[in-house]
Order: sequence, then structure tokens, then C-alpha cells
Amino acid sequence: VSKRRILPTRAALILTPSAVNKIRILLQNKPEYIGLKVGVRTRGCNGLTYTLEYTKDKEKSDEEVLQDGVRVFIEKKAQLTLLGTEMDFVESKLSSEFVFNNPNIKGTCGCGESFNI
Amino acid sequence: TTARQQAHRQILCAQSRHILGHQRFNSVSTQGKADESKEEGINLTDSCVKRLMEITEKGEYLRIHVEGGGCSGFQYKFSVDSNRSEDDRIFEKGGVGVIVDQESLDFVKGATLDFSQELIRSAFLVLKNPQADHGCSCGSSFSVKL
Repeated sequence: VSKRRILPTRAALILTPSAVNKIRILLQNKPEYIGLKVGVRTRGCNGLTYTLEYTKDKEKSDEEVLQDGVRVFIEKKAQLTLLGTEMDFVESKLSSEFVFNNPNIKGTCGCGESFNI
Repeated sequence: TTARQQAHRQILCAQSRHILGHQRFNSVSTQGKADESKEEGINLTDSCVKRLMEITEKGEYLRIHVEGGGCSGFQYKFSVDSNRSEDDRIFEKGGVGVIVDQESLDFVKGATLDFSQELIRSAFLVLKNPQADHGCSCGSSFSVKL
């Protein structure tokens, strides 16, 4: 009735170019894996922490994010906490890590590994 | 593999707690003089040495600096440094070195420095710090034994 437009469904997770690049490199010589899986676990001083692992198959409840040819799966438990999050890969001489820039986060740990919502 | 890593980590945690507890017990019973020389430096793991070979040039060292902050009171800061000042101590292994200023050293002596590589993160990590009471889960922050 009104001029309400149907919003395109937003991807649950947005990958930055450097994250896409790194995931592509990680999966390059591993044809047995179809992508990476992101999860959350209760750990750390601020409640939750992200986990990342290779995955061989997509589970029913997993949310699939396909961007620029790389696949990232999000565990059911992590979907709510990850919504709208940007996944970045930051590399320096001293460390290299995947960083999740989550707009839902209320507080983080000093090192940025754990967070609460 | 993650479950296994987690289990492994828990075992490590339990072990380090055990070691920490043991050391504390020792230092009380023997007045802490017996194995002081062993506990003065910084130990480097093989993966740490390997990583340092990759990232440091000749004359460059990894500096460990302890400062206030983090969820447990103190945190470790790492940087690559080629300047050594007078109160720096240097710990070498396999052609690479780590420098720590005297003040920071009081908080990390006897600790082991590792380069941990995981899918989500690769970074330098201080393991088994006998000066630390308990740490943050990520290991970047710790509180000191009083």
C-alpha cells in the first residue's frame, strides 16, 4: 500500500578486502575445506570470544556468507551476536589476526579478544 | 580440532597453575634464593625464535615492555626496537634477541615468550610468567603476585 521498499537482505557478516584475501590464501591448497566457520564461545574476562576454524560441510543451522568467492559460515549461536559485524584481517610484524568490528558490542577486554553484548 | 585445542589449553592452564603454585611454595620454603639465576631471564620458545628471525634484521630486537592497563592491572607490550638504552637487559637465543628494560623485567623474569599461531590469530605471547598471579584469558594482561 505504502511505498515501502523491500530491503535487500543484509549479509550477516561483511568481509573486508584484506579478510577476503587472507581467507582465500588460507583455503588455497585445502580443497577438502569449503570455508571457514565463525563461532562464539564463553571465555575471556568479558564474557564471549570468537572462534575460527576450517569447515568441511555446512550445517543446517549455519548462516552462509558468500563474498567475493570465499565462504564463511556462522554458527547458530554466533549469528545473533555477529549481525552486521565487519570481519577484518590485520597484519603487522608482531601479530596477524582476524578482527571483528561488532556494532552490538557494549564492552571489550583490553586485548580485544573477549566482549559482552 | 578446536575442541582438542581447547582441552589442550585447559591442561596447559592447569599445569601452569600447578607450576606457579609450586614455585610460590618453593620460594616460601627456601627463601627464594636457590634457583634465582634460572628465573632471572626470559626464555624463548622455538616458534618465537623462528618468528623473530623472520621479522628482525641485524641489530633489531623485540622489546617487551610491561605497563599498567588491561583487565588484570598490567599488560605486555611488544615492539621491534634497534635502540638499546643503559638499563636494558638482553636475552639471546639462536641469533635473535629480546630486550627488556630493568623495570619491566621485574614483572616478567623467568617467563617464557612464545609466538602462538592459530587460525584466528598469530601473536607473541608470554607464557608461564612466574611473576604473574593470574592472567587474562588472552594472555595480554595479568596481575602480579604480591
